[in-house]
Amino acid sequence: MSDDSQRPKAGSGAAHPCLVSRREFLLGAGVATATVMVTLNPGTPMAQEVPAVVATYPRKLIGRLSDLVVDQPLDFAYPDEGIYSESFVVKLGRSAGGGIGPEQDVVAFNYTCTHQGGPMQGTYQSAHKALGPCPLHLSTYDLTRHGILISGQAYQSLPQVLLELEGDDIYAVGIFGLIYGRFDNLQG
Amino acid sequence: MATPYYIPETSVPLPPPDAEVINTACDYCIVACGYKVYRWPVAGGRVGGARADENAFGEDFPVYPLGSWVAPNQHNIVLHNGQPHHVVIIPDKDARHVNVNGDSSIRGGAIAKKAYNPQSPTRDRLTQPLLRMHGLLMPVPWDFALDIAAEVGRHVIDHHGANAYGVKTYSYQYMENTYAITKYALRHVRTANFTFHDTPSDVTSTPGFRDAGFDNFGAAYEDWRDAETLLVCGTDPYETKTILFTQWMMPGIQAGQKAIFMVPRRTAGVAYAEKNGGLWLDVQPGTDLLVVNAMARIIVENGWQDQAWIDEWVNNRWESSSGFGQGTRNTPWQWRTTWGMFQTSGFEDWREWLLGQPEFELANAAEISQVDPEKIRTAAEWMARPRDDGSRPKTSVMIEKGFYWSNNTGNTQAISALGIIVGAGGRPGQMISRAGGHQRGGLRGGSYPRNHSPEKLPGRRRRAIDTDRYLISGHTRLAHVIGNTWIQAMCGSQGLANKFDELVTQNPHQVRSFDRDEIVDTLKRRVDSGGTVVWNQDIYLVNPIGSRYADIVFPAATWGEETFTRANGERRVRVYNKFYDPPGDARPDWWIIAQLAQRMGYSGFDWETSADVIHEGSRYSRGSRKDFHAVTLVAQREGKTLHEKLDEYGTDGIQAPVIMRADGTLEETLRLHDVSRVLPPEGPVGANRFPKTLTHFKSQTGKCNIQKSPWSLFSDYWEWMRPRDDELWCTSGRINERWQSGFDDRRRPYIVQRWPENWVEIHPDDAAERGIENGDYVMIYSDRVPNQVGTIIGVEPSDFQFSSLLENGHIELSEAAITAVAMVTPAIKRGVLYTDFLHTDSPGNALAGRVVDWISGNYNYKMGVARVRKIGESVYKRTYRSMSFAPRDIA
Repeated sequence: MSDDSQRPKAGSGAAHPCLVSRREFLLGAGVATATVMVTLNPGTPMAQEVPAVVATYPRKLIGRLSDLVVDQPLDFAYPDEGIYSESFVVKLGRSAGGGIGPEQDVVAFNYTCTHQGGPMQGTYQSAHKALGPCPLHLSTYDLTRHGILISGQAYQSLPQVLLELEGDDIYAVGIFGLIYGRFDNLQG
Repeated sequence: MATPYYIPETSVPLPPPDAEVINTACDYCIVACGYKVYRWPVAGGRVGGARADENAFGEDFPVYPLGSWVAPNQHNIVLHNGQPHHVVIIPDKDARHVNVNGDSSIRGGAIAKKAYNPQSPTRDRLTQPLLRMHGLLMPVPWDFALDIAAEVGRHVIDHHGANAYGVKTYSYQYMENTYAITKYALRHVRTANFTFHDTPSDVTSTPGFRDAGFDNFGAAYEDWRDAETLLVCGTDPYETKTILFTQWMMPGIQAGQKAIFMVPRRTAGVAYAEKNGGLWLDVQPGTDLLVVNAMARIIVENGWQDQAWIDEWVNNRWESSSGFGQGTRNTPWQWRTTWGMFQTSGFEDWREWLLGQPEFELANAAEISQVDPEKIRTAAEWMARPRDDGSRPKTSVMIEKGFYWSNNTGNTQAISALGIIVGAGGRPGQMISRAGGHQRGGLRGGSYPRNHSPEKLPGRRRRAIDTDRYLISGHTRLAHVIGNTWIQAMCGSQGLANKFDELVTQNPHQVRSFDRDEIVDTLKRRVDSGGTVVWNQDIYLVNPIGSRYADIVFPAATWGEETFTRANGERRVRVYNKFYDPPGDARPDWWIIAQLAQRMGYSGFDWETSADVIHEGSRYSRGSRKDFHAVTLVAQREGKTLHEKLDEYGTDGIQAPVIMRADGTLEETLRLHDVSRVLPPEGPVGANRFPKTLTHFKSQTGKCNIQKSPWSLFSDYWEWMRPRDDELWCTSGRINERWQSGFDDRRRPYIVQRWPENWVEIHPDDAAERGIENGDYVMIYSDRVPNQVGTIIGVEPSDFQFSSLLENGHIELSEAAITAVAMVTPAIKRGVLYTDFLHTDSPGNALAGRVVDWISGNYNYKMGVARVRKIGESVYKRTYRSMSFAPRDIA
């Protein structure tokens, strides 16, 4: 776990009203965290111990921006190598919620349907910037809108992998939403 | 409307191995999937672990696909016996029926979020009785509210007659409640001013089925799978009763079933069928009858009909006129209304009529319906053309509201005849039924006092009061509204709201006192001055019936807060167990009704538990499709309540009608009209009944009536309604993720993120002509919404036909408008708008003609027209957090 992951990067801020910074994304997402206590207003009568949030997702290099071709998903595993970690990063060619890069069109998601765990590898729909339909029960997800369900039965959006760009390097640094099959993204 | 920002969670507590496990079923759609509630105390901080021996599922995490996964939306914290408890509610992974192996939709899947939790958007549940004083609804004790309601109610009945006491209630929200409500309203108040949530009059939804002899829910779910050709009219089950599609139709389609969808809108289920060799008949609203009869015509012209079935199971000339005096003229629809317009003297007579109607020629039907004639011909072939070896395809027919709420009588008559000639009705994989909307939770505690209805149709009989028209005419002095919106759920809803304003809030007699007697006197003066008082029972305050109009609001307890009984769309009766405390002082509707009834002076309402109610009501289920009385008898024999006995059947429940064999054991019913079923030779024993529908059809002879379905009874309305100038059809329906419309769905952050506001689908060509893009706000409006006015007595046969009503001044035109966010998609037919069927803030029904189907008395909700124009851009157009404009028919 790198301290680096806590610091907002220049360029990852919200040029678009919806493209939240990574810090907002992480804190807002309520990702699994380790908790340490810090003291607010030290030395005053209002001093109090409050939990500080420290994200525990690994920071993982998953690819290079210059290697990405529009509409060609690139697979990677995250946040670990375990079951349901299979994810993909794709350059949509259209700006998207949580997108990085100059066009804010590079996004990454977990492949597993959040309905009942159907595998959606190979279901990328370039015409609609969508994933699905899931082979099990036909759910489809909108990759331009944080993986929200287009039509289907899942109980939540497709887990979005939070990305960070450093030069040409793309790092996965967190996940927005619980991965199917797990009770905690980081504990399995 | 605010759009709460939804933050997905990334972990969820698992139930520990000793968590209690409670059976229930989903509260929502007709399918009623089986669910299990895992409950354990918050105190102590215990949660289950990742290893199989550390959690209640006995599964290692991460679980396999289709496993006992818990999504964060499946967890909640509730009070049980006053103590905080975790609940995890997931589909029953051991289910053998309905949602086999624990499939679920997004709606039921997230049902844990329905439970009251003041930290969630459910925090505005009604928790105390409310009384409007000085214009505000203020909390009052139960006795205070009930005493006032009873005294004013008594006054209304005594001084203005029972029909001045109007009751508008849900028909389905558990048998314990519907029994109490109907016992009160129909057996004791005896008001004819009574109807259910989805119709202005207490009439059947499918008059054609009724005449033909088909039960609405005869089919078993396996029939939808086992049909080789399946015609689905007016619904996509994937969108509206998901598990019926994913667990039953999808395997059928995968095994080669030819699925034909007749709907103006292509959704995921339609797309799946098409991708797998199926067919989409993209019918123009209101013209289904022409397509159905064109198919029937192709079938008989080619001699493809199932003649052996027809010979055995269709009434001939003599049988048609046999039985209870008048033969089919005795069927309710025929008798009440239109002598001879439907009845035939058998198949040949019907065939002659069909071939004699030029409007059913393929070219004409195709032109008006705007469906490719080759598709109609293909559909007819698939349904009926015998194979080379002479064997016939097993064909089933499924209908639902898009179909029967477009031309209620005509469409249901036409489809019944088509079903009959393709041999659908009483054999495995060969059935004709509704698919269903809500679950089947009605239990009649009294019969409708039809003779007290002032509305008389030409012919012999009275028709149930059109409660909307009766209210608009000023006759309803007390509107008792139970668990529905009344106003937005009805056609021409904005005119109805205006009338409520006039009768309730603009009446000078408003409560401005804290004194009980003065309050009662004020409400009585309003009633006596021609105004209306409103009582409302519900779980949330509904706008406007509760928030603007109700004088008294009674807070109801619902699913999970009381033990209830209900049946699903294949007549599977199950117990819905209580698993947590109702919020505040909320009480189940049966209790509220019982308290009111006793104060009104009615006896027989001294029940103490919901089990008492269902035990009393049980015998009234006899002979019905939900007949569970034999189960009650067994429960009593074993010293149990019915609820306890049903709980033994778990989420499987028991499929009704249930009959008792001579040895005291029970026998379920897989499908109705089961012509191959052999009943116990000794016949019914004890209090048991063997209804005719077990092995025959529901007609005077037990055989089917094949009936005519004249287009002319409806065509004048259709011609008048059809879009003029730049108007478009404006029809409505459900959308998968937001089935539940008014209450739970808009209190689920994820669903609100997906569907934050009302929406409208518009074809790209129609959108381009109007400069409308995805995400634009549009105004959908009309200045010619037809409203039927006046309670009249029909004398001449055509007095209720639309053109006669128009000519005689019984149709008034009004304006209506709603707003919506545009979704531009070729999935909707050109020339048609499709909007949410009941968005309480933007009700699509405002634009549907408030003119009842003149034979049946139902509204044709799907028939509206409107203009549409852009009024600006919504925030969803340029931000990514909420909504989606991607097509819903990606296959």
